[in-house]
Amino acid sequence: MRQPNKIRPHFRNTTFRLVGICLGLTLAGLPSNAADPITAEAFLKEHCAECHDATEKKGGLDLASLPRNFSKPEAFGLWVKIHDRLESGEMPPRNKPRPPEADRAEVIKWLHDSLVTAEEPRLQEGRTRIRRMTRAEYENTVRDIFDMPGIALAGDLPPDGSAHGFDKNSDALDISHVNLAKYVEAADHVLDLAIATQPQAPIVHKERLSLAQPGGFVAHVIMNGDGVLLRDMQPDPEFPPAAAQTHLDEGAHERMGTFERGSTVGLFRHEDESFSPYFAAHVTIYPGRYRVRWSVWSFQWDKGKVLPARGTEAARLAMVQLTGDGRGGQHPSYVLGYFDAPSLNPTEHEMNVWMNHNEIFGFNAASLAPAANYAKEGHAMTFTGPGVAVDWLEIEGPINEVWPPPAHRALFGDIPLVEWKAEANSGVRAPARKKVRQIGAGRNRPDPENGVWMVHSEQPLADADRLLAAFLPRAFRAPVADEVRAQYVAKVDERLKAGDCFETAMRWAYRAALCSPDFLYHVEPQGPLDDYALAGRLSYFLWNSLPDARLLELAKAGKLRASLHDEVERLLADSKSQRFIDDFLGQWLKLRSIAANDPDKKLYPEFNPYLQDSMVAETRAYFRELLDKNLDASFLVRSDFAMLNERLATHYGIEGVAGSQIRRVPLPPDCLRGGFLTQGAILKVTANGTTTSPVVRGAFTMDRILGQPPEPPPANIPSVEPDVRGATTIREQLDKHRSDSTCASCHRKIDPAGFAMEAFDVIGGFRDRYRSIGSGDPAPRGSIDPFIGISFKLGPPVDASGELPDERKFANIRELQSMLAGEKTLLLKNLAAQLAVYSTGRSIFFSDRDEISAMVNRTQSGGGGLRTLLHELIQSRLFQTR
Amino acid sequence: MKPLLFLLFALATAVADEASFTHRVTGLFSPDRETDLRAATEKVPGVKLVSLDFAHAEAVFSYDPAVAFKDTKPEQIVERFNDLLRNATRSTFGIAKLDPTPKDKLTRVEIPVAGMDCKACCLAAYEVIYQINGVTAATASFKEGMLTALIDSSRTNREALETALKNRNVTLKAKP
Repeated sequence: MRQPNKIRPHFRNTTFRLVGICLGLTLAGLPSNAADPITAEAFLKEHCAECHDATEKKGGLDLASLPRNFSKPEAFGLWVKIHDRLESGEMPPRNKPRPPEADRAEVIKWLHDSLVTAEEPRLQEGRTRIRRMTRAEYENTVRDIFDMPGIALAGDLPPDGSAHGFDKNSDALDISHVNLAKYVEAADHVLDLAIATQPQAPIVHKERLSLAQPGGFVAHVIMNGDGVLLRDMQPDPEFPPAAAQTHLDEGAHERMGTFERGSTVGLFRHEDESFSPYFAAHVTIYPGRYRVRWSVWSFQWDKGKVLPARGTEAARLAMVQLTGDGRGGQHPSYVLGYFDAPSLNPTEHEMNVWMNHNEIFGFNAASLAPAANYAKEGHAMTFTGPGVAVDWLEIEGPINEVWPPPAHRALFGDIPLVEWKAEANSGVRAPARKKVRQIGAGRNRPDPENGVWMVHSEQPLADADRLLAAFLPRAFRAPVADEVRAQYVAKVDERLKAGDCFETAMRWAYRAALCSPDFLYHVEPQGPLDDYALAGRLSYFLWNSLPDARLLELAKAGKLRASLHDEVERLLADSKSQRFIDDFLGQWLKLRSIAANDPDKKLYPEFNPYLQDSMVAETRAYFRELLDKNLDASFLVRSDFAMLNERLATHYGIEGVAGSQIRRVPLPPDCLRGGFLTQGAILKVTANGTTTSPVVRGAFTMDRILGQPPEPPPANIPSVEPDVRGATTIREQLDKHRSDSTCASCHRKIDPAGFAMEAFDVIGGFRDRYRSIGSGDPAPRGSIDPFIGISFKLGPPVDASGELPDERKFANIRELQSMLAGEKTLLLKNLAAQLAVYSTGRSIFFSDRDEISAMVNRTQSGGGGLRTLLHELIQSRLFQTR
Repeated sequence: MKPLLFLLFALATAVADEASFTHRVTGLFSPDRETDLRAATEKVPGVKLVSLDFAHAEAVFSYDPAVAFKDTKPEQIVERFNDLLRNATRSTFGIAKLDPTPKDKLTRVEIPVAGMDCKACCLAAYEVIYQINGVTAATASFKEGMLTALIDSSRTNREALETALKNRNVTLKAKP
């Protein structure tokens, strides 16, 4: 048996020098400031070479052949891993003799210094390479410049890549001719919407719509018993509920005006693949701001009687973008919100929204279980169950407080519109006006046109210069040199000479600006950021958009750095900071993948879009709460509260939460929830819709939460096939990971957290037995809606116990949470790194680690709160340097 | 002053040329449809509903063809009137030529049915049988559970009506 301590006196002086020489290790290329490379070589020989020589080559590492030249990227990466394994104590392994602590520390320091030195040349040109805006940044930037808060642009731009977990990374933000073509299209679209084409604003209409649009889905299902018409909270006497016989001939009912008498629509069925409830009578013609109010309530239907509801149901309002000819359902949409529908209490909700061309409102009785009365005997008159009632939806708009609107004024200031007269514009082309066809079943019609109007200037070049002097610095987020502006004015001049009118000529310049590198790219100087670049980095971090006027004023005055703390607070307090939370969590915690799969309907019949949206809302609200309350890093993995609505609380088995709105809820002492790892969204994005894998969830935890991404799996290892028949558990299937030493070296680190998370199924529900669609015991209903049919069975029991690499054992997720919560430094370092990657658009270099450690130390000195960490990051050199 | 006199003359002439015309009316599936028909007729300029024979689905209208159906050939007035009334009522009423079959040759058929006590459902059931050649008038009432029809037995029969109803998912009740 070796006795390292006893030979230590010779370690530096004789033995290992000889060993090193005998090994013939060349140290050429090692940094000259290395403390004592021979000592390091001896250390490696003594403690590492036994397993990592050319023969054993454990983990694929052969130290003898590993180049000592750290400037080579491949070798550099491997040496970083060696450094990390030594630093964490993972190597040498526990079953091997421990090196003297002083030797270990010295070698680690040597490796650290060597790696930092080796990295320096790579960083000479700046750490963040030049990068363009992401799709989301582009869209938000345009929205904010033109005050068009809902203009849809991102969906028409090519998808961004992703590097180091984020699409903001310069490595992922390449640009191609496709991007450029799409930028031109997008700029044209923006200018089409921004430029006023009439001297008066579109007429404001206020319309009250019924959900039962003639020819629509809702009218159809009402005819067949999945809904009813109501008057004064009773069945409409002129339209009895579908019973033994359903209503005849929908067309006859439409012609008789059945669905246009202002009756309330009561639905028993939620949206599904063949049922898309739309308020289809208003299809947006004029993009802009609209005020929408609607009245909803809930009831219990009992074979023709309207009774008090079981509680508050949830109604979803969505914005639907009609496609094709606008007919049919399943058009793309996004959720505007979930709203309470209280029992027998018509409740009005109001919100201001932006509507684009050909958008309509979509509805969903979100909290209801699937109903299919249309296929049942007796239809509505034999059905007893919950319903959601929609009295009406009122839409008012487009609302323009000023005309021309701010978007137009951003381009043309107060220059008036004049009517185009051919005789007065000899040799000049009229401005082109794009006609957008209204599709779908809208009954609203465009205003009568009142001739062709255009922006006209009597001194076009002077006005062009003045307008561009205001627009370009705003769009480019920095002062614009006179000669640059002159190029744009020259473009205007060129177009005027070519016969364009002033408006069209200016449009050329604006389109060029919106497609220019100054607009599309984050232009940052080498080295420390100047104040403008800092303002941009800050606003694209916390607002995912360009700096506002105040930030630019501070930058101009050179006062931004002095005001940075206050500005961070101001930006976080603004509603635009939700963009940061959504975008950051979408990538850090992979929330963008929440809908990547649909859970198996037999195994998880209680899953629906309302639950999924609630999950995402929970995680976002939770992160917001951590920031707002400046809670410490332990809350990332353990918490005594959760952010829940009724649907999620029911899913988690927590009582006393009513309504659709997310709010802070104290968790019972014995509750297994708390922290990201037990949140439905995280548990769903780490599952495949049918089964869970401790490997996937464990890897997620290591990579995203602990900042210790595992090695990628060997190429020749097949993935584990799920067994939904209930014969074997995933733990049994993964037994090889424990018995095979090659697998075990990684999986003893990856699997433990995943095993603890086995306590939760693919939709984040707690389980102590696996669900099965084969053999098993009858499953109790639990918290599953009584109107949902259950066919799954209960299979083998779940074992959520495990053992961490340091041999600490845990019996369940709670014990694991406690262990992880103790790793505050690790958690903070990871979050700091994730935020740094996101905000700076580059990966974290080895030499950044000291800076991150320093900011984490300062954070912990300041109480350890996550908001404090955010401030520390923004104040750091790492953030403020390109 | 002259234009006013001319206008009065023209109006007097129009009134003087008004005449009564009897037409068959479609859409009269229940007695309360008379109110609807009166309201609908008011939407047709220059036409007044004078009287209604509900049992035979015939109505007397007064109008001046030259005014109410200007530029319409006499043989096309019924068609034009039908278009106007259908447009005014989303095709729930219409005008047709009188049926040539003498009324005393018509047979009344009663078909017990089950369905919604719903005006639009009645229209739907009515339209199923009214469009059958040989049916000159019909009523539909799911409240009373009965469809009736006046038919020309030489052109159609009860079985044809029942088949058409069943094809459109109208539930027939057993004959009493």
